[in-house]
Amino acid sequence: MARLSLRPDKQGYLLLAPAVFVYFLFAFYPMLDTVRMSFSSWNGLSAHRSFAGLDNYRAVLTADPVFWGALRNTIGWTVLAVLLPNLISFGLALALNQRLPGRSWLRVAFYLPVIIAPIAVATIWKWMYDPFFGLFNNLLTAWHLQSWIVDWLGDRHYALGAVFAAHVWQSVGFSMVLFLAGLQSVSTTLIEAARIDGAGRWAVFRHVTLPALRPTLAVVLVLSVVNSLKAFDIIYGMTGGGPAQSTQMLAMWAYTQAMQLGDFGKGAAVSVILLLITLVIVVPYLRWSLRPARSGK
Amino acid sequence: MNLFSQAFRPVGSNRVDPVLCLLWFGLIGLALVWIAPFVFIVFTSLKSSSSVMGSNAFAPPSDLAFVNYARAWTRGSFSTTVVNGTIITLIKVPLGVFLSAMAAYAMARVPMRGGKLLYLLCVFGTMIPFQVMLAPIFMQVNAFGLINSYPGIILPYLAFGVPCQVFILYGFFSSVPKELSEAARVDGASHFTIFWRIFLPVSLPALSALVILDFVATWNEFAMALVILQDPRKWTLPLGLMAFQSQFHSDYGQLNAAIVMTVLPATLVYLIFQRYFVAGLTTGAIKE
Repeated sequence: MARLSLRPDKQGYLLLAPAVFVYFLFAFYPMLDTVRMSFSSWNGLSAHRSFAGLDNYRAVLTADPVFWGALRNTIGWTVLAVLLPNLISFGLALALNQRLPGRSWLRVAFYLPVIIAPIAVATIWKWMYDPFFGLFNNLLTAWHLQSWIVDWLGDRHYALGAVFAAHVWQSVGFSMVLFLAGLQSVSTTLIEAARIDGAGRWAVFRHVTLPALRPTLAVVLVLSVVNSLKAFDIIYGMTGGGPAQSTQMLAMWAYTQAMQLGDFGKGAAVSVILLLITLVIVVPYLRWSLRPARSGK
Repeated sequence: MNLFSQAFRPVGSNRVDPVLCLLWFGLIGLALVWIAPFVFIVFTSLKSSSSVMGSNAFAPPSDLAFVNYARAWTRGSFSTTVVNGTIITLIKVPLGVFLSAMAAYAMARVPMRGGKLLYLLCVFGTMIPFQVMLAPIFMQVNAFGLINSYPGIILPYLAFGVPCQVFILYGFFSSVPKELSEAARVDGASHFTIFWRIFLPVSLPALSALVILDFVATWNEFAMALVILQDPRKWTLPLGLMAFQSQFHSDYGQLNAAIVMTVLPATLVYLIFQRYFVAGLTTGAIKE
């Protein structure tokens, strides 16, 4: 590349420009536009957006029977998605960090679902839940448990749990790899020393392994919260929010309002609420994670 | 092999630990459960409809109906979706990583005003999921008249991919020793030259890890494509699979063949470049 006689900071701005430009145009602006849209009444087609004040929020919070169910599902899903898959991932990571034959193959087995497209996961599980020929009801028949057979995705008592099971299957491997990487940073000499001093399995875990994993834990928790708030593909693919809105979630509901029912204002209001929930979780984490980075410099 | 001579022995001990042996059997059992869906899908994809309905779910296919694959390929317009997916991925992934690398280099190595603010903004950007605002993204792409076009999907992909990649590469570039670039600075080389001649070559492993992770993510992306690519001639594989599922869901053999064909590329990429995945994920998330 030719030598340019630009001041160093100008060169820096030039290097930044393309990324910043694309980001502001197609990520940051739409985010601001969501907020603006949420205060207007608009069907997405007419040239004119009229100012609607808080009407959309009022409609969503008081007159929309689906919103509260979707909010409840989103929160329940998020709490469970932070606890259940991560506990499994953590256990797996601890186990696969031991000297076991074939452990790299075992890791591959648990990670494989992570790289499958979520929409394919949805298709796979929808087929496994097929009430007539699917895997689950097939197995129940084989085990003589016919009385347990249900239409997993068609029954509103089971649908959300059924979708969640698919999510667990897909997401366990992701956190497992993060935990495994975190475990690499646990000093083996420290563990050996503790062992020689007579510390038992639990004591080593409690006083050596766990403290070293604290940063990893924080990352995994925040990533799984954000991942569950944006749960979309798997629900769209498996149930589309049904039956009877029993698997409806906020991200999906915002999409449905705007893109399918043509009420962009109301859809945007749902988006803003979801964005606010995301911020409440993300901002404290950011403040926490940026502090050590600053002192490290 | 070292691993085998030490197998089942905890760190700091030379005795075989019975708890670890039990654990091992448990893990193998669980791993079998984890891959069972794949086995089920592949088996079903090779069965004719009548044998799907007549046979046990885990019975291996007796008739090897490869015709399912051929039929699913044409009925699912795979020739179109594969081409679209390939074009979009091949443009988006290298371009995105390159733009991110430039920006990350500037943020990590060029002293400038507002650098800290940009970094904060970038970290913030990594946390905001685009699934939350699909409609406004649609509006913005529509304002540029780019609905149903390759640039229309590539630009938002770039926008939402950049923060995360910048974040990862920022950490990586910050750890490159100062001496490497200082000498070149003294010789009068511009930042463009240093970036191109020193930082890109040095960070090739990190860049490849990002490329491979991003390949899978882009290939698999569904929600954004759903909103922006509404014309079936512009569909990517996930959209094609979704449509196939809703149209031909009772052709079980073909549906499963379509699933296999959709997930195969990403699976192969993962199996071939496995170690890059771990490298990419861990530099990204743990290194802070």
